[in-house]
Amino acid sequence: MIRRGAALAALAAVVAGLAAYPGYASGYGVRATLQIFMWIVLAGSWNLISGLTGYVSFGHVAFFGAGAYTGAILVAKVGWPWLPAALAGGVAAVLLALVIGYPCLRLKGPYFAIALLGLNEVLRALVSYFEGLTGGGNGLSLPTLDATIPIYYAMGASAASVTLLTYVIITSRFGLRLMTIREDEVAAEAMGIDTARHKLYAFLLSAAGPGIVGALTARDQGYIEPISVFPLATTITMIVMVLLGGKGTVWGPVLGAVVLFVAQEVVWARYPYVHPLLFGAIIVAVVLLMPRGVLGLLQSRYRLPRTI
Amino acid sequence: MNVFVTPAMLAQVVVSGILSGALYAMVALGLALIFGVMRIINVAHGPLLMLGAYTTYFLYSALGLNPYLTVPVSMLALFAVGVLLERTLVFRVVDAPELSSLLLTFGISIALVNLAQLLFTSDLRSVEYLTGSWVVGPVALSKPRLVAFVFAGALTGLAFLFLRRTKLGKAIRATSQSREVAMVCGIDVQRIHLITFGLAAALAAAGGALIAMIVAIQPEMGQTWTFKSFLVIVLGGAGNYPGALLGGILLGLIEQVASLFLTTQLSEVVAYVLLVVVLLVRPTGLLGGRET
Amino acid sequence: MTTKALGAVVAAMAVLVGGLAAQAQGPIRIGASLSLTGTYAKLGRNQHEGYKLCEKDLNATGGLLGRKVEFVVYDDQSTPATAVRLYEKLITEDMVDGVMGPYSSPVTEASANVTEKYKKVMVAPLAATTSIFKRPPDKKRYYVFMVISPAEAYLEGLIDMAAKRGLKTVAVVNEDTLFSKAAAAGAVDIAKKKGMQVVFQEAYPKGNTDFAALLTKVKSLNPDIVAAATYFDDAVALTRQMRELDVSPKAYGVTVGGDLPEFYDTLKANAEYVYGATQWEHVLPYPGNHEFFGAYKKEFGHEPSYHSAAGYAGCLIYAEAVKRAGTLDADRVREQLLKLEMRTVFGDYKVDQDGFQVAHRMVTFQWQEGKKVVVWPDEMAPAKPRFPTPPWNQR
Repeated sequence: MIRRGAALAALAAVVAGLAAYPGYASGYGVRATLQIFMWIVLAGSWNLISGLTGYVSFGHVAFFGAGAYTGAILVAKVGWPWLPAALAGGVAAVLLALVIGYPCLRLKGPYFAIALLGLNEVLRALVSYFEGLTGGGNGLSLPTLDATIPIYYAMGASAASVTLLTYVIITSRFGLRLMTIREDEVAAEAMGIDTARHKLYAFLLSAAGPGIVGALTARDQGYIEPISVFPLATTITMIVMVLLGGKGTVWGPVLGAVVLFVAQEVVWARYPYVHPLLFGAIIVAVVLLMPRGVLGLLQSRYRLPRTI
Repeated sequence: MNVFVTPAMLAQVVVSGILSGALYAMVALGLALIFGVMRIINVAHGPLLMLGAYTTYFLYSALGLNPYLTVPVSMLALFAVGVLLERTLVFRVVDAPELSSLLLTFGISIALVNLAQLLFTSDLRSVEYLTGSWVVGPVALSKPRLVAFVFAGALTGLAFLFLRRTKLGKAIRATSQSREVAMVCGIDVQRIHLITFGLAAALAAAGGALIAMIVAIQPEMGQTWTFKSFLVIVLGGAGNYPGALLGGILLGLIEQVASLFLTTQLSEVVAYVLLVVVLLVRPTGLLGGRET
Repeated sequence: MTTKALGAVVAAMAVLVGGLAAQAQGPIRIGASLSLTGTYAKLGRNQHEGYKLCEKDLNATGGLLGRKVEFVVYDDQSTPATAVRLYEKLITEDMVDGVMGPYSSPVTEASANVTEKYKKVMVAPLAATTSIFKRPPDKKRYYVFMVISPAEAYLEGLIDMAAKRGLKTVAVVNEDTLFSKAAAAGAVDIAKKKGMQVVFQEAYPKGNTDFAALLTKVKSLNPDIVAAATYFDDAVALTRQMRELDVSPKAYGVTVGGDLPEFYDTLKANAEYVYGATQWEHVLPYPGNHEFFGAYKKEFGHEPSYHSAAGYAGCLIYAEAVKRAGTLDADRVREQLLKLEMRTVFGDYKVDQDGFQVAHRMVTFQWQEGKKVVVWPDEMAPAKPRFPTPPWNQR
């Protein structure tokens, strides 16, 4: 219990530090931290579906993009303030997840991955096609607004929520059932778990976060276009973050997001011409050397609780 | 802006669709082989194709070789690359969950593209050998595409002969049906995996070599081919080799006909919707495949 | 002590402190985020080389305001989100003295929000989209300046020449991206103004290289002109397939891609008669252009593209404005940039009150016997276009 108390105190200190951070940080410090929050949300959300159920969502950036466009359209065309627009972005992403997930989650194993692999490309094509609403290839430019600091808090709150949600799920019966599906879906069904419904719920939950931060990013950046909000590379980055930290854990996505983002900023900025090569090497190394991630390694070595 | 579609126009796009479809089929056959035998989704398939295209380009521009003669050379070179990749990296994820193989091959994929950018630069290259077309009635048959069609058809045919008639080919099919039974029958499964991966890379390379004579080549050319190959094997049935042939032609036709009646932009959407529908209605592909 | 003596002491101290400050100042650091990897890598790298050459030339002639000039460059991987973060880093962490623009319109569009926020002047040499500069009052930008001609002007030469020769119908196709869409919209606009009929318009996705269906539609309408707003390899693929499907308009022009030497190397005879538009050519009679071409080739081992020249010129334009202002203060440099009229290796520079380029001219060329021959506008054209374009089998 003492350890638990110390951990909670440390956590509270970190949260307080981050809350006070914009007061003394440079503009870049705020923006970089804000983007770390964004990656925590993306990685944590991906972890909810793929880390817990084992269903690999290779199209998760689609929810980010759907949220970005929903938010941007509401701000630019309807004149909504950014906060409700961000929530609407989350709702839109969940609706999209319902449309996609309801049929596709019936697919098993690699077929689910393949079915989602093209989702981002298709959304990009659709967004480009309906240019009356989306601006098509011209993109959407939002009115100038300096809200970086409020958006920093919104992103931070989203990151905290996703992490808390993961904790709640992992410690709940719902989470246990999801992990049963991951280990053996047939057995889970035999045990009377409604696997279809559980997978769908997890999928819907995993879409909300990306939708919200997509809309927040659109607002903060002030400009979005189809190519830059639907890249497959974003999905890959979130997956690598989760794998690096430890999939199926609470803190793995957080750890992975921070480490990979900082590596990107500090190391890769020095080697602009070869960093994709480095990124490729990191992916290969993570997959081959520590498929369970840093936390997975620690868990098996030091008997850490499952709920870390 | 509506265009009145005449039968001649339809004939033209159907022919164009079949011509590109044969290329899709050949390239996708490689992906289908890997998936069937090793249960791996190889995202690096497109970049291997890109390397094949560069091999042909350099043989053509530096040695002045007839580009069609470079096709077997490219295939051999990439067979070697494939074997190397399998032996050093890919074999480690054969039995791992699909996430591992997806990510590993994705890592290989971006590393290969970046390497190509460093070594070959991003300049456009191309092999300008056959140009123009033969006109048959209302239909123009692009010369390089028609020859590529013939090559793709022949190579795919050879691949099938190999799979059906040779001992090695039968061993590959046996492994793809059941690895355990194959092992019991004394087949060296490790070796089969190695050869399958090399063969798949060689098929991608053949595609790259032929495509080099059709479009300009650059390091990022491969990615769209990875995705198209996925579409093909899903349409045809993953792990079902004749299905790849059907899937390829079908994808070529869908793309062209959808572009004619709708727009090029929307043809991607049509192809994807079809993919999802096929997955849902017949998860094993149109010709049926093996169950997972 | 008399007041006079006091004054002298104060003055002496001021000189001393001022001198120390000048020494302690170090180089003027100019930050930029460029697309060194990713989709725009090739073009972004050329722009980077333009900046590097400008840095070298400025330092060789005594630097700027008596200080050396030093570029701080990061890679944005061709993505706006990364560029936004990097400009924030350059301005608030690296505390650079000035910034220069990134590569491409989308990246500039996003980055300009940051540079505006911190009131940094940004000369954006590779942003060709009007909407970045011409904005409604609530979104107006004050500190971003355009160097190249707008995308809308790319196909103007082609349409204008065709109109003068009595052509009537035009088909416009374009890649569906910010830049190419604007170029296509410009072509449609100009064609309508000249009383021509736009019989076909369709966008295709970025990266598309199969145009069989699209060209089948174009062919059925048999337009006099095909105007294509292309980006890179699509220009090559489109031209090849036009030949294959025997789409033979009396004039056919592309935008970006058609100006690269690879365009001709790739297509050889099939590139003959094709029109292209470019922001810059090394043969154009701008002051210092010839020397720039030679120096660049020597420095980097390959020929400059217009991206290189625009990057080089943009940097010189910024330096000139700083010189005239005598300070790095954004508002005073902005004032000078708004007033400045300058002729560089890249051509003329003059902007309106929105920072929008009004003096620079695009040129239209035609591939004639393996050379890009400038054929439009008339006052810059050493030769006439070969018109009309004969059918494919007679080229």
